[in-house]
Amino acid sequence: MGEDPLSRLPHGISFRFVDRILEMIPGKRVVALKNVSVDDPYLRDHFPGNPLMPGVLLVEAMVQTAGLLLPEGSSAVLAQIKEARFRRPVVPGDQVRIEAEHRTGLGTLHRFTLRASVGGSLVAEAEIVLAITTPGDRGS
Amino acid sequence: MGDNRQRVRGLLATRLKLGKAADELGDEAPLFGPGGLGLDSIDALELVLGLEKEFGVVIEDRATAVQVLASIRTIAEFVEAQGKG
Repeated sequence: MGEDPLSRLPHGISFRFVDRILEMIPGKRVVALKNVSVDDPYLRDHFPGNPLMPGVLLVEAMVQTAGLLLPEGSSAVLAQIKEARFRRPVVPGDQVRIEAEHRTGLGTLHRFTLRASVGGSLVAEAEIVLAITTPGDRGS
Repeated sequence: MGDNRQRVRGLLATRLKLGKAADELGDEAPLFGPGGLGLDSIDALELVLGLEKEFGVVIEDRATAVQVLASIRTIAEFVEAQGKG
């Protein structure tokens, strides 16, 4: 895969919620890791003395993981979140394993199934649609 | 054939947030655009997935989707042309 495959994410470092890619079938399926650390800035006040990964940021981590499956060089925006469920709290020290699977695409829209787990237990799941706003260099 | 139209109608009712009851949807009523049900491209993606699951038919590209997803009649005819349903 050459250089850091995470660098294809358009987000700046401080808004990157994926730490590492474990498996990748380009355009089809990706498994990534997000390590939740007590040093993560958003945990200081969410909540004071009781750090808990915000559900929306868990969704962001899943969305960014899905974004890794888009054609390189493309940019996209979130168009839909469906069937989002949060089953267990995610706290500092947790290593979140995120799986994104491309379900179907139509024109600029792409639908993904997302699952996040910690230690083999499902913590969150969702279906999302990403809309490509700038096509990439190549299809995938 | 009428049965397929009814199944498509059921699919629309269960997978999409429609402003009216599925039973009220005419076979020829345009699903997209003004003057029709006003579905959008995200609804189209949902329908593509729904048709794949319900009938095992695959719509691969946007041009096909525009033709096939015009109305309940065109969807049912596509399903039948694919030998499914």
